[in-house]
Amino acid sequence: MLIDAIRTIRRSLSAFVIPGVVFLMSRGFDPGTIALVLLGALVVAVLAAFWGFLSWRATTYQVSGGAFHLRRGVVQKNERTIPLDHVQSVDTVQGIIQRLFGVVEVRIETAGGGASEPDASLQALDRAEAEVLRREIEGSRREPVEEEGPTVVRRLGTRDLFLAGATSGQIGVAISLIAVASQLFDDVFSESLAQRLIETLAPRSVTTALLYVLVLGLFAWLLAIGGTVLAYTGFTLSRDGDFLYIRRGLLERREATIPLARIQAVRIVEGLLRQPFGLASLRVESAGYGEDAGVSTTLFPLLPRKEVQALLLDAAPEFAVAPMLNALPRRALRRYVFRSTVPVLVLLAAAGLVSLLAFGFVVWSLAVLPLLLPAAFYGWLRYRDAGWALEEDRLVVGSRLLGRATAIAPRRRLQSRATVQSPFQRRVRLATFEARVASGGGGAELRVTDLASDAADDLAESLGPRT
Amino acid sequence: MKSEPAGRLDPRAKTLWRVTGTLGALPLLAGGALVSWVLLRVAELPLLLAVLPFLAAAVWLVALASVLPGLRWRRWHYEIRDDEVDLQRGILWVTRTLVPLARIQHVDTQSGPLQRRFGLATVVFYTAAGANRIPELSAPVAAGARDRIAELTREQDEL
Repeated sequence: MLIDAIRTIRRSLSAFVIPGVVFLMSRGFDPGTIALVLLGALVVAVLAAFWGFLSWRATTYQVSGGAFHLRRGVVQKNERTIPLDHVQSVDTVQGIIQRLFGVVEVRIETAGGGASEPDASLQALDRAEAEVLRREIEGSRREPVEEEGPTVVRRLGTRDLFLAGATSGQIGVAISLIAVASQLFDDVFSESLAQRLIETLAPRSVTTALLYVLVLGLFAWLLAIGGTVLAYTGFTLSRDGDFLYIRRGLLERREATIPLARIQAVRIVEGLLRQPFGLASLRVESAGYGEDAGVSTTLFPLLPRKEVQALLLDAAPEFAVAPMLNALPRRALRRYVFRSTVPVLVLLAAAGLVSLLAFGFVVWSLAVLPLLLPAAFYGWLRYRDAGWALEEDRLVVGSRLLGRATAIAPRRRLQSRATVQSPFQRRVRLATFEARVASGGGGAELRVTDLASDAADDLAESLGPRT
Repeated sequence: MKSEPAGRLDPRAKTLWRVTGTLGALPLLAGGALVSWVLLRVAELPLLLAVLPFLAAAVWLVALASVLPGLRWRRWHYEIRDDEVDLQRGILWVTRTLVPLARIQHVDTQSGPLQRRFGLATVVFYTAAGANRIPELSAPVAAGARDRIAELTREQDEL
C-alpha cells in the first residue's frame, strides 16, 4: 500500500513540478506565492496518497485453474487472465524505495507481450510471497525432479566487477551523456554565468586543451565503471533444473529467469579492451524475452575466455562446444581489406574535392592517407577472426566488428538459412552465409561473409532438417 | 546445394511490377526534375550538368518499367518441398533462403488492390525470427501454396 502511495505521490508531484516552477517564475519569489505553491503540492500529495491507497485496495491476484488472474483499477475495473502455459518469465525487480520497505516488484511476461511494458506487474510483494507466486507459476511447467533449489553456477567478484566496468568500452556512451548534461547545464544557467564560467575555464593553450580532453576521458571512464557497478553488482548466475536465474544490481536489484528451452543462441564476446587480457562476456539470444526485438541478455558480464567452456557446461550444456573454426579462403582477404578501406578512400576523394575547392590544390587531402594502413589492418583482423564450424549439430560462427564474437546455435534453433552472392563474389567463387535465430520479438543473425561458395551451399544443406 | 527451386511466379507479375515500379518512381522523377531546375536556375550550372539528376531518375524509371521486372521474374524461384521451403531471388545479389517447415508458425496470403486487379496474391509465412514471402502467385496457386505449407507444417509437428 505504502509503495503504491509513494509511487503515485512521486508521479503526480513530478507532474506538478513544472507548472509550479512556472507559476513561481511568473509571480516572483515573494513568500506568499511560495506558500501557495507548497500548499498546492501538499494537496496534490495527499490526493495522490489517497489514490494510491484506493488502487492498492483494488489490486488483487490469484493463481487458479491453470491461469494467473490479476484484477486492478479504481474507477475502470480491469481483469486480466494469463494462462500459465503462456507465461514466458517471472522476474523480480527491487527499486530503491522497494528496498527500503523490503518488498519486490514481480513482473510477468508472456511471449506475445509488448516490448516496453510487462504484461502483468505487481508493484509490491514481500519476498516470501513473491517466491511462492513464482513457484506456483513455474511449478506448472517444471518437472518435480529437483527440490533442493537453485545451485550457483558463478558469481561476479568485486575485482571482476570493476574490471568489467573499466574494460566495458562504454566510454563513448558516457561521453555523450556528459555532452547532454553540459547541454542541460547551458540551458539551466543564465547566460552571464555561463559566460563567466567559459572565461575562467576556457583553454588558453594546447596543453590545457589536452588536459581537458584527458580529464573528460577519465571522467567518462569513471562514469562507465559506475554504470557497470550499478547494473552488475552481485551478479549471480544460478541454475535450477531447466531454468537459469540471474540476480544483479546495486541499488535496483533485478532477478530474471531464463528457461533453458528458450535459449536460441549464445554469444561469446571478447571486447576490444578485454581480448588482450583474455577476458570475455557471455550473452544469450532468447526467444520472446529481452527488452526489445533482437536484444540479447547478458548471461555473464566478465570471465576469463578459458573458463567460458566450463561455465557453459554447467549452465547451458547444449551450447558448450569449442571447435577449431574453419578459416576463410585466402581470396576472401582482398575483399575484407577492400571493404574496410573503402570509407577511407571515399574520405580521401571528399577531402581532395574540398581542398581543391578551398585551396585550389589537392595536396592537403593526402593528410588522410595515413588512415589507409590501420583501415587495411582492421580488414585483415576481421578476415582472420571470421570463420565457421559445424560440430555435433551446432553451428559456430566467428566474426569481429570491434570485439571478437563467437556465436553458437544448435541446428534445431535455426529458423532459416540463406546464401547471398553478389556479382563480385560470384567472380571469385565466394558467398555470404546467414542463419537466423529467434531473439526477443524478432530475429538475430549469424553471418559468415566471404566463405567459399560451395562451402556456403554445403553449410546451408547440412544444417537442414533431417528426415 | 540442391538444384534450383522449380516453381516460378505468375508471368503477370512482370506487368504488375512495371506498373508499381513506374508509380513508385514518379516521386523520384519529380524530385529529380526539381533538383535539376534548382541547379539550372538558382545555382546557374550549365544545362548539361544540371540535367543529370533528372536524367538519372528518368533512366531509373525506364529501367523499372522495362528490363528490371523481367530480370527479377527470371531469377525468382520457389519450391515447397516436404521438409523445407526453398526461395531464390535477387537480380545482382542472388539470395537463396531455406526455411524448414517445422519452424513455420503460421502462413497468410495477402493481396493489395493492384494485385487483386491482376488476380495475384502473396504468400507470407512467419517463423520466430521474422517473415518470408513468395510474392505474385496467381490467387488460386497462392491459396494452394498456403494450404500446402500449413498442411506440411502440421505433419512436421506431429513427427
